[in-house]
Amino acid sequence: MKLGSPMSQALVPTICPYCGAGCGFYIKVEEGRATGIKYMPDHPVSRGSLCSKGNAALEVLRHPGRLQHPLKKSGSGFIPISWEEALDLAAEGLGQALQDFGPQDLGFLGSSKCTNEENYLFQKLARSLGSPNVDNCARLCHASTVVGLGKSMGACATTNPVSDLANSRCIFIIGSNLAENHPAVARWVLEAKDAGSTIIVADPRRTPTSWLAEIFLQIKPGTDLALLNGMMHVIVEENLFNRKFLEERTRGFEALADSLKEYTPERAAAITGVPAGDIMRAARAYARSPASATVYSMGVTQHAGGTDNVQALANLFLICGHIGRPGTGIFPLRGQNNVQGACDMGTLTEFYPGYRRPEDPRTPEIFGQAWGGSRRLPGHCGLTALEMMDASREGRLRAMYIMGEDPVNSDPHASRTREALEALDFLVVQDIFLTDTARLADVVLPAAAWAEKEGTFTSTERRVQWICRAVSPPGEARPDLWIVTEIARRMDLGWEQRTAEEVLEEIKSLVPTYRALSREMLRREGFIWIHSTEGYYPTRRKGSPILHQAGFPTPDGKALLAPVHYRPPAEETSPERPLFLTTGRLGAHYNAGSMTLRSPSLLDIEPQLFVELNPSDALARGIGDGDGVVVHTARGDAHALARITERVASGVVFLPFHFPGVNALTLDVRDPQAKIPELKVAACDVRRA
Amino acid sequence: MSVFVDQERCIACHACEVACKRLHGGKSNVSLQIVDGKAALPLLCRQCEKPACVAACYAGALVKESDAVAFHAEKCTGCDLCLLACPFGVIWSEKLAYKCDLCSGEPVCVATCPTGALAEDYQAVTQVIRSRAARAFRRGFR
Repeated sequence: MKLGSPMSQALVPTICPYCGAGCGFYIKVEEGRATGIKYMPDHPVSRGSLCSKGNAALEVLRHPGRLQHPLKKSGSGFIPISWEEALDLAAEGLGQALQDFGPQDLGFLGSSKCTNEENYLFQKLARSLGSPNVDNCARLCHASTVVGLGKSMGACATTNPVSDLANSRCIFIIGSNLAENHPAVARWVLEAKDAGSTIIVADPRRTPTSWLAEIFLQIKPGTDLALLNGMMHVIVEENLFNRKFLEERTRGFEALADSLKEYTPERAAAITGVPAGDIMRAARAYARSPASATVYSMGVTQHAGGTDNVQALANLFLICGHIGRPGTGIFPLRGQNNVQGACDMGTLTEFYPGYRRPEDPRTPEIFGQAWGGSRRLPGHCGLTALEMMDASREGRLRAMYIMGEDPVNSDPHASRTREALEALDFLVVQDIFLTDTARLADVVLPAAAWAEKEGTFTSTERRVQWICRAVSPPGEARPDLWIVTEIARRMDLGWEQRTAEEVLEEIKSLVPTYRALSREMLRREGFIWIHSTEGYYPTRRKGSPILHQAGFPTPDGKALLAPVHYRPPAEETSPERPLFLTTGRLGAHYNAGSMTLRSPSLLDIEPQLFVELNPSDALARGIGDGDGVVVHTARGDAHALARITERVASGVVFLPFHFPGVNALTLDVRDPQAKIPELKVAACDVRRA
Repeated sequence: MSVFVDQERCIACHACEVACKRLHGGKSNVSLQIVDGKAALPLLCRQCEKPACVAACYAGALVKESDAVAFHAEKCTGCDLCLLACPFGVIWSEKLAYKCDLCSGEPVCVATCPTGALAEDYQAVTQVIRSRAARAFRRGFR
């Protein structure tokens, strides 16, 4: 602080509320108001930088549209009510459904934008009431990572720190537009590139990430698995695999090698549309480099075969032995600031906190003892996020509590989600804005945003970081921690109001990976949790933060190579719908847009929905650049402005999913294992509006 | 001083624009241009050694001061001759002209750039670009 500045001015350290990179910055607070941003040059991930969204983060805090009072549905609108009345109504509504139908008829959606402490209490509330139906939107982004990497190597987290990408000699990026979606990660990719490493990017679309690539593989949407198997075919045929690693650390190579025989580069080329020579070049560069890193994201996971895609990717780095060393590893980039944390906290129906399986009879026992409730904790998986919507439409789910999510805009085939929420007897939504989901609620609870509360976020590289309260929430808005506790108190769970720090102590006693962290550690530069076959320990005490250096957390310490086969996308093109629709993010916007579409300086950059269309497809339809068009799928229509560009190949169109209406088009066919929907491929047509 | 651009590192994230706008009353003095969906380039004042804008400015609002082109808004008449003169198109106008003011010596665009595409250190940028060129030469051009 400069000399002579008024005493009421302060710099409060915080973590960016947007993507999973976990960049730090300071909020300038003057007289209780957030007035500016100061960069944090010593932050280990961002090194003082911030992308456009980070620079605009305060616009959301000060937005006039923030929810300031609890609201009750009244006719077609809402009326403000007191907190007492709102909390009583919420507890009554959930309690009524519980009493009339039982806990299996209650659904809980947690939030990967809320803190670890909030998610922990949220799932504790659900399970203490006896409901196994608790999930969060990680289901829609990395559920296939949790299942796929879990099957392959017993753990699903990013293995190396993001900054370690700089040590790679080859970086293979598939289905991730990290340059726009995680700009802080792009810094480390560029460091590697400028040190001479080979960058390979596979994506159906030419993006700022593909600009970084020496080898760009423009695949057809949904053909990732054919590409991966084709690359592995080359690696096996040309003996480029790591025999020592295969023998010591994996099982199942023979079966995998057999299954790859049919994936000749020529066949992979026919399926993916990428020249066979490029597939061979990419395979050789990846396998021959002394340290190759693998980075992926929604382009791999959001498919009906998402789990298979992830397993194929695991097979690729495992046969080359590109894991457990500096410069190698697997980076499933997380889209939201706390996806990793929400999953660690058990806000997923198939896991209790710390990834304990509910079917394991010890799990309900351990948590039953720790939580001390009278009710039996659920000993089985419940409904996933999308299954809750199905259940509601079928009358099997009566009441829902949604914290900080907007499924009406983020679920595939979103019109059905709207129907589902309308069919509920009771819906309570807790958010910072009156989102399209909140508009359907019986009671809306105004929550504090990230800079108005305390707690921890866990970034994509497993870095647990503390956020400080910089300013007060607007109006009567309250931290989620307080709200969840108040509802639990009214449902006779006997909870006391506690601070985030106190809740974190409880988490530490139950989640092994978090056990060793301390408040001091969190404050300085965060804490990366790591585990090995010997147990869990903090990075500061021992060794490097790189996972799986000696063994994998599987029963025999070895990773499994499982053959997986290519299947075409669930929805094929047809004469009526001859184009493939794929969706993704833009640099200036974020997810369902509830924050960035309210941020003026980001709206200046991309104000409205557009559709990218190849010139040949545009010509055939008589569409000019900037024309209003309708994108049509079997599920609905969306209006957009045409952007004619060679970024997309002929036969493919791209829509950014931040704008309302896009997910009315997407396809809800789910991966049988991870229950993730195929958001990335649908058959569509485009015509002039 | 000046802000230099390493075009190979620009990922079109728009951070420079938003940060600049945040510190300059909602107007950005840097403009990110995306070329044909294939590359991006942030455009901003290059602080010319012989600035055409200064020659054109009869009001004395634009002047060469030490090694930068300074702009004194209180003298600007809004004639827009500088926009015409600037060979790079990096002066804009909204009643009065506006352009990069180097943020009093600590350009916010340089500080915020996630990839280091914007830099003040001419030696460092040129070194990166030279070694990149040398490597490309060694590998052979494709």
